[in-house]
Amino acid sequence: MAVMAESDELHARAQAFIEASLRGAPHEPFDALAAAIARFQMERVPAVARLAAARGIRASAIARESDIPAVPCDAFRLARIAAHPPEEDARLFRTSGTSQGAGARGEHPLRTTATYELGAIGWGRRMLWPDRDRLRSIVLAPPLAEAEDSSLGFMMDRFAEVLGGPATFCVRGGALDLDAAAEAAASAREANEPVIVLGASFAYVHLLEGRGAMDLSLPRGSRAMQTGGFKGRSREVEPAELRRMIAEALAIPEAHIVGEYGMTELSSQAYEGSLAAALGAPPSEGDARDGRHGVYLAPPWVRVTAVDPASLLPVPAGSVGIGRIADLANIDSAVVIQTSDRVRVTSAGIELLGRAPGAVPRGCSLAIDEMLGEGRG
Amino acid sequence: MSGSDGDSGDERRARIERLIAYARRIADGSDPLGEEARRRLTATTGLSREGIELALTEHLEINPSEAELSALLGSAAPRTSSGRAPRCHVVIAANVCTSALRAIAVGLATSPCVLVRPSRRDPVLAEMLVRCLTRDDGFRASGGSIERVEDVSPSPGDELHVYGSDRTVAALSAAAAPGVVVRGHGTGFGVAVIGSGIDVRSAARAVARDVVPFDQLGCLSPRMALVEGGAERAAAVGEALHEELGQTGVPRGAIEDDERAAIAMYRASIEAVGTWREGPDHGVGIDVTPRALPLPPAARVVHVAPVSAGEVPSLLAPWSRFIAAIGADDEGELLRAVARAAPGARRSRLGAMQRPPLDGPVDRRPA
Repeated sequence: MAVMAESDELHARAQAFIEASLRGAPHEPFDALAAAIARFQMERVPAVARLAAARGIRASAIARESDIPAVPCDAFRLARIAAHPPEEDARLFRTSGTSQGAGARGEHPLRTTATYELGAIGWGRRMLWPDRDRLRSIVLAPPLAEAEDSSLGFMMDRFAEVLGGPATFCVRGGALDLDAAAEAAASAREANEPVIVLGASFAYVHLLEGRGAMDLSLPRGSRAMQTGGFKGRSREVEPAELRRMIAEALAIPEAHIVGEYGMTELSSQAYEGSLAAALGAPPSEGDARDGRHGVYLAPPWVRVTAVDPASLLPVPAGSVGIGRIADLANIDSAVVIQTSDRVRVTSAGIELLGRAPGAVPRGCSLAIDEMLGEGRG
Repeated sequence: MSGSDGDSGDERRARIERLIAYARRIADGSDPLGEEARRRLTATTGLSREGIELALTEHLEINPSEAELSALLGSAAPRTSSGRAPRCHVVIAANVCTSALRAIAVGLATSPCVLVRPSRRDPVLAEMLVRCLTRDDGFRASGGSIERVEDVSPSPGDELHVYGSDRTVAALSAAAAPGVVVRGHGTGFGVAVIGSGIDVRSAARAVARDVVPFDQLGCLSPRMALVEGGAERAAAVGEALHEELGQTGVPRGAIEDDERAAIAMYRASIEAVGTWREGPDHGVGIDVTPRALPLPPAARVVHVAPVSAGEVPSLLAPWSRFIAAIGADDEGELLRAVARAAPGARRSRLGAMQRPPLDGPVDRRPA
């Protein structure tokens, strides 16, 4: 019970931070809340406690986010990263991890989805629908009931519900239903109501490759969110080319195509600012951050730092490193995670530069990379 | 050049024996060939001086028995009804500096005419062996011809032997003309299995002997040690392995930035889920409650975990097709389960995983 009370209190503080930061109102300092969450996790999450002990870090010494040891994403595959027992899971998100088999998938248990939803919807609203409260949705994914462990699916399901318009989920039984997508587009055109299309990048590739002469054009004001890499599922497509193809097929401006950066191990997401910039709606007052494609804007409750891959220490500002991500919404797991994603962080935002290659294999020696291809569930 | 018809077993054996004779000279540090190899390999392998000496003196297959040679010759039986291939093209990988000997031996067992494309990164032994054989009267008298080439272009009826990553094997296989017999030996690693009745210290010492050669870069190199008998025993094996790896007297070669990064990430994961032990030249990750088995980087880093026979199918599922070698000193339940999961893996005693007999390709997995 003590654990739940502590967790509840931290969730309340995180939600207050999220709400206030979205309003542009004063809020608790990021470092103070991150440190409080980390101290809770060092006491209650065995993996975080072990990592801190291995580094000689005491909870009492945690004063700021930079003091917190980052839990590698891979650890979510190797151990349960949670302060609560499995019977208290409200949701259990899993990575796709198909290249390593179902038994080796990373897991992120959530005791409550309230904070996740508040942050995801709040930032999603800023970056994907700052101009209106209602949109139709075309989701290039199965309904949540068919993919309950997908964090991306959960997020898209929440978006569709919040947006209130007719929602079409275009994946059934593992297959993309192109007819359903085309019918939803036609219905939107007939009603002249804009649409948001949501999906993983590989789903868009399948949509584009399979549509033939189908009319997928959407009414003015429509937009698309796409996420994930472009390898390992269908053919490899360069991001700029995919954007161009989506824009052409959906008849929407390229600026209305927004890349999303998230992962199973996080509760929050970052987005390209292109749509917000095109609509003249900066994410927060006075926010002059970049509207370019390729630059991602994280919400105020997320801090991304580029670190040296070997030392895991911060690199000089503006240099390339791998992404260390602090997410204040990750209350019951690990508030700071370490990815293998190469990033450059500037005042403009986060540039995603692809995955760190890992040790390059020589000859027949199996490298970790050859087995990777793990993605968000 | 002899035609393939009439190429007798005696002639093939004679050509291989000429090859081995030069390999013996390369192994001998007082021989000019041995001196040349040691000097050149320093620049190409990335191994330490001691690592090169270990490779040349203990991991060149220079004393095959008659039975092993017979098995080698038998492993190269023609795959088509038209008989022995007129030419054998051999593409050699970079990760194991001594691998050229076995690859060329298998090539010579296959055909009297062998064309060798050495690894671009480390061509030393392949170049030296080809050079020596080209000038060898005995080799030519037994009908052999051998040539170093920059690219391979096999014709229908030829054999193409590819040693390298799965990507390399796939690319060269796809490019090969119809009628070319391709034997690919791709990506792989080894698993050490420590049965419940095996002494922990002697097992750790033996596994260390398997890890150190070639700085763990070979497809036979054990990257995981699966321990039968529970968490405490696995922890004891891990600690003992850490001590043994710290006493080998063979420094690890320089590691590159991306290897350093991979070690850092693996270490951080292990620190979160288990115990990390590290020396100047090695690392051991001990996870006594495995939910999954991570593959540590190939830089003398070993993952140790307790595994029961019942857990093998799920824990090894992501890795089974890559397991090229299993080392074990017993025939217990765990070993039997691992062998069922990786039926094509070469089996050996612990401590001998990197000393396979010269009886054919090291990789016995089906294509």
